[in-house]
Amino acid sequence: MLNMLLQRFKLFHNLRRLSHTQSEDLKQSFQTNNATCGEEHLPSDLQIVDNQTKYQSVLEECTDDISHVATYLKPTFNFAAYINKSRTLQELVKLNVDLSVLEKKPKVVPFILKLEFEKDVKNHVIFLSELGVENIGNFITKNPFILKEDLENLKIRINYLKSKHFTSDMITSIIPRNPIWLSTSTQDIDSKLGFFQREFQLSGKEVRALAVQQPRLITYSLQHVKLNTFAFKEEMGLRDDEVKSMLLKKPNLFMKLHTNLLKTFEFLHKKMNIPIERIVEVPQILTCRVFRIRQRHLFLDTLGRAQYNPRKPNYVPLIGLVSGSDVDFCRDIAKSSVQDFNLFLKSF
Amino acid sequence: MQKTITKTLSVLTEDATSAWKALNGIICIYKPADVSCHRICNTIAYKISNELNQMKCRPCSDYIQIEGDPIKHLTVIRKENLADHPLVVGPRYDQKDVRCTWSNYLGFNTSGILLMGLQNGTKMAALIRSNKLMRSYRVKGLLGRATDNFYKDGKVVERTTMGFIKSHHIDHLLSSMQSSHQRKMFNATGVDLQSQTAYELAVKGQVRPVCSETPILYGIKCVDYKPPEFTIEVQCVNEYEMYLKALIHEIGIKLHSTAHCIGIQCIRHSYFNLDNALLQKHWTLQHIFDNMEECRKIINEHENLTKNNAIVIQ
Repeated sequence: MLNMLLQRFKLFHNLRRLSHTQSEDLKQSFQTNNATCGEEHLPSDLQIVDNQTKYQSVLEECTDDISHVATYLKPTFNFAAYINKSRTLQELVKLNVDLSVLEKKPKVVPFILKLEFEKDVKNHVIFLSELGVENIGNFITKNPFILKEDLENLKIRINYLKSKHFTSDMITSIIPRNPIWLSTSTQDIDSKLGFFQREFQLSGKEVRALAVQQPRLITYSLQHVKLNTFAFKEEMGLRDDEVKSMLLKKPNLFMKLHTNLLKTFEFLHKKMNIPIERIVEVPQILTCRVFRIRQRHLFLDTLGRAQYNPRKPNYVPLIGLVSGSDVDFCRDIAKSSVQDFNLFLKSF
Repeated sequence: MQKTITKTLSVLTEDATSAWKALNGIICIYKPADVSCHRICNTIAYKISNELNQMKCRPCSDYIQIEGDPIKHLTVIRKENLADHPLVVGPRYDQKDVRCTWSNYLGFNTSGILLMGLQNGTKMAALIRSNKLMRSYRVKGLLGRATDNFYKDGKVVERTTMGFIKSHHIDHLLSSMQSSHQRKMFNATGVDLQSQTAYELAVKGQVRPVCSETPILYGIKCVDYKPPEFTIEVQCVNEYEMYLKALIHEIGIKLHSTAHCIGIQCIRHSYFNLDNALLQKHWTLQHIFDNMEECRKIINEHENLTKNNAIVIQ
């Protein structure tokens, strides 16, 4: 904790000069001073002071505007010290960028402070809004380094998607939901799409459908995806085509922690005796936390309603078991009252 | 099970500041098993700060700026101080701002009633803790197997037969354990059990240990026996999770078999019972405030929660 604070402190300490030269107000005052002094080049801080002292004795009354001469900002921990002077930061706040989140990342802070709105931010914002990104503030909060990328590069990445037969509708659905996509080079995107195609034997159409359904999975850590695939195939014993159908139905499963998936699977398969084929049909049930399934299953069990075989009467659908609030569950599935369910929960 | 609880919910204010100021007191929550108390504290603090931030928070302060040429004309401009904006300094209420502690520690595997102090209520929580009030537990055991850590998640180290154990065997053992604990208590006070002083001590109320290390059982009985599972109800002071697990192990051995614990539930803490406890799904600001009010009533009714006047073993 203390180390982190120290690190941030040092960072802002080194950067405090930056904001001084960045400030728009100061620039204007430099220019006015420049005009009065009759010099052609832009003077540095020292020169301004020199010019004033050249013609005036210290004993004479000072008539020039020297309100801009001020000490540097003191070392600070956060953006708040700079915000009232820096136009770039103000514009970012107007865009709803959460600076309090950004200042916790040490690499982002120097980058953001060096930005100039007109030059570095404006065109990117226009470009993103044309791509259909509605909440630009959230987008930049998630991936501030999008502002570092060259616009030409971004256009090339969009063109790459078009060349791979992604329609413009698909692109406007992919880009806003995965802020990191545009920062990934075309080679990387290509290799990752290729990985999913090879690993799960997907057709071109299926790869595109996968990218639209869960864009974050494409740029997700491949090691994590491989680990989850291993858990599905070896630890749960699913066949290749079953894993593929799960990937296309619920791609989020490949981004979850495999230990949690295994716990839920074990409870479903061993305690509730649900065959693997049924679980593959409704893969979203694996995303449910174990305690929720256990509570509801045991409640149904005490009521004598835990019957998950669709061929027999009083069948409870697996989706209905995990979805909906407790009120809905008690009314529609358990045919009981919430008060009874709450009392039951207090017996665990 | 037909008992329906109808509670009139108070309408929560929209203003975050007044809600924050009202957030002092004791709440009684239902701790699920396999979650640590620390984690519950963090969850509650997170939920509270998150909900407060969604309410109407304090607006930004003013920023006064003086513009113009100092020789000619100066104008004073009053603007919104962006340095105070939630997007710049972070949300108004932080998780770390909420002070939150428990008054009775429950172990990792224990579920049940957990009294927690919020903000200034943490002092009250400490007071209740120091008073060593009695707690009731329902402990489940499984006969026939012993594990290395006395709990169900441990490695099985021994298997025995248990078909010969009948319910009256357990009752007999437990009643002898209870009487030996009671005798231990009076022995520690240093009075003769047959004397008038011992009678007067017993009339005044329960005898409590002054230190917080020695566990003492006041009552223990078997409430359910379905071989191989059995459930005992324990009233005790100064207990800890491992003590209750070891108790089950000891019962198993004394019954000429083995046993391990399969569940511990705290069903009562002094005057608080399961009806007062908030379930995990109800850990919201609205329910927390209602529960706080309920707990305040209980504390006001029973002054021995905060004022200790029982007999202690010196």
